[in-house]
Amino acid sequence: MTDVSLQTRSKELVSRAKDRLSVARAGKPSVTVQVGHCGASVGASELAAAITDRYRDAIVAIAGCDGACFAAPTVIVTSRSGHTHRLERVSSADLEPIARVLNDKTGADTTIAPDFITAQQRIALDGCGTLDAESIGDYLVHGGYSALARALQSDPSDVIHEVKDSRIRGRGGAYFPAGLKWESARGFAASQRYMIVNCEEGEPGLFKDRHLMEGVPHRIIEGACIAAYASDATDIIFYINAEANLSAQRMETAIQHARELGLIGENALGSGYDFNIEIRRGAGGYVCGEETTLINTVEGYRREPRIRPPYPVESGLWSRPTVINNAETLASVPFIVSNGADAYTQIGDGTDTGTKIINLSGAVRCPGLIEVPMGTTLREIIYDIGGGPPEGSSVGVIGVGGPSSGVFPSSMLDTPIKPGFLHESGVMLGAGAVIVMDDTMDPLSVVRNLAQYNANESCGKCTPCREGTPRMVEMIDSMAEGKATQDDVDELSNLARLVNNASLCGLGQAAGNPILSGLHFFRDELTAKPKS
Amino acid sequence: MITDQNTLRRELRAKFPRNHGQLLPALHFLQHEFGYLPDWAMEVVGWHLGIPASEVYGAATSYTELRIEDPGDTVVRVCTALSCVVAGSKDILTALESELGAGDGAEEAVFTLEETPCGFLCGMAPAIEVNGRWHGRLDTKSAIELVRSAAHD
Repeated sequence: MTDVSLQTRSKELVSRAKDRLSVARAGKPSVTVQVGHCGASVGASELAAAITDRYRDAIVAIAGCDGACFAAPTVIVTSRSGHTHRLERVSSADLEPIARVLNDKTGADTTIAPDFITAQQRIALDGCGTLDAESIGDYLVHGGYSALARALQSDPSDVIHEVKDSRIRGRGGAYFPAGLKWESARGFAASQRYMIVNCEEGEPGLFKDRHLMEGVPHRIIEGACIAAYASDATDIIFYINAEANLSAQRMETAIQHARELGLIGENALGSGYDFNIEIRRGAGGYVCGEETTLINTVEGYRREPRIRPPYPVESGLWSRPTVINNAETLASVPFIVSNGADAYTQIGDGTDTGTKIINLSGAVRCPGLIEVPMGTTLREIIYDIGGGPPEGSSVGVIGVGGPSSGVFPSSMLDTPIKPGFLHESGVMLGAGAVIVMDDTMDPLSVVRNLAQYNANESCGKCTPCREGTPRMVEMIDSMAEGKATQDDVDELSNLARLVNNASLCGLGQAAGNPILSGLHFFRDELTAKPKS
Repeated sequence: MITDQNTLRRELRAKFPRNHGQLLPALHFLQHEFGYLPDWAMEVVGWHLGIPASEVYGAATSYTELRIEDPGDTVVRVCTALSCVVAGSKDILTALESELGAGDGAEEAVFTLEETPCGFLCGMAPAIEVNGRWHGRLDTKSAIELVRSAAHD
């Protein structure tokens, strides 16, 4: 198979998609309704049904949510004369604003925070919320699958080099260099290798992978195929959270469309390479997203981690070399392959490259997904893009990185985001959750909430984590009652360190972090006697 | 609705190849079919996949999303992760507890009220799930209305 035919084939697909779309859409107004997990919780599905029913001559497309959660449900309307407007907080009970735009009667966006998206730098999320999530044609015309075609016509080692040069690290929270992982998996002799796309996303405060799957499912498929090609894996498993039904549906549709066009399946794009894609669902629990636990659950065993080494790249699923990448990592890969490593390294602060999706929630005006370059400060994320706390309140405790990480006071707002630890007391970027608490929220209750979560989610395999996490909650409770002595506080911090040091998996190894960072930044508040 | 072992065996044979990796998909199928995992059905899954019933049960109980007991007709789950707590989900939980009379056993056959660590609707907090459907941006009043209307469906 020559290179020329591969490229020609991919270009053909694009031009055919363009032709089809332009014929179907010629001169017609269009309405894009953002229906995602978030939007659907405030009536976006009913809205989409009402719009489809009422505007039969318009093209109605269903996109994923674009991450502006505060604005949902959002509708993007292109009028008969070709003007496009964005309408937010639309209700199915009142479709008049849509009718007005469609008929060019008025032309005003009703955006709550116009800069929310433009202030971001979207690579993984690019097109999320505007592209028809169930149309492969939209993604192809947007430049989709050109990176896959490019990768397939080059040598896998060149793909690995490019990705290694980009210095992209795994966005699931462990920040392991992606290119290195692929290279290691390739390095172990095996008759079969597996690629697993980790879309479990079971950590409180996170909703980015759902948005990616619901908004730009094809980008994850494209990235996964590139990764599989580079690591010499032919079987790709999408591991999707048990509750993320809409995400699983959209992924399934996307996989089916890609297969119909010959982009995946046997002899993908005529390259001679096969991509067999299968969807598997998790069954709840934070620890399911831990890579060795994930493998156990796919093999049909208890939800428990395995001892590492051997690492999955050497002996993973069914004891074969297995590459496990987060959905966000893979969604950034097509950009790197299309634009080159240099384009990616130019984003970020020089040391840490690329963008990261921050999941902003809590007491801010504009909660949602914020994709920004590495090195952006929490202040810029929370205030400049997130709009800061609502009128009349101020930022108190900031939960960064979820229950495996820790808490910051507002004095740490100028901390830039970067892979790994943001502070040595145990605050990590993790998968990018940032939860803002207002100043009325007691730091002790925040730490307790996180500690309780870890105690509930501990799978029970390692004694320090199984016994230690509930004990830490008890000790926090005794602090809340004012019964704790200085010795008790020291014992709590020792126990937190012990659990971190003596557990097998990422959950246990970080379960002490909320307590350690809490004691570091809020020792006075945590140890204060309750006012009664 | 599958009610006997033979029908279930036929369904499993048609849907799931006999290998260990099919355990979780098969358990998901049971949960979808019955709303929870009845003991007898788990045993049949074990027969089909060649996995001892004890191991099926052991694996099933390790997953938080799988139900071992029949949750009743209406399942209400209130998210109590930080973002929802900040937005007042504890008040919603308390209000629903008294509304549904959870705990005194009076309506236990009808309602299951649970806390969940996260509904992944952090931007739409506070959020609750009623019979598998999530609702965001609620307050105590709208949450109670939702649950009431679900109960009358």
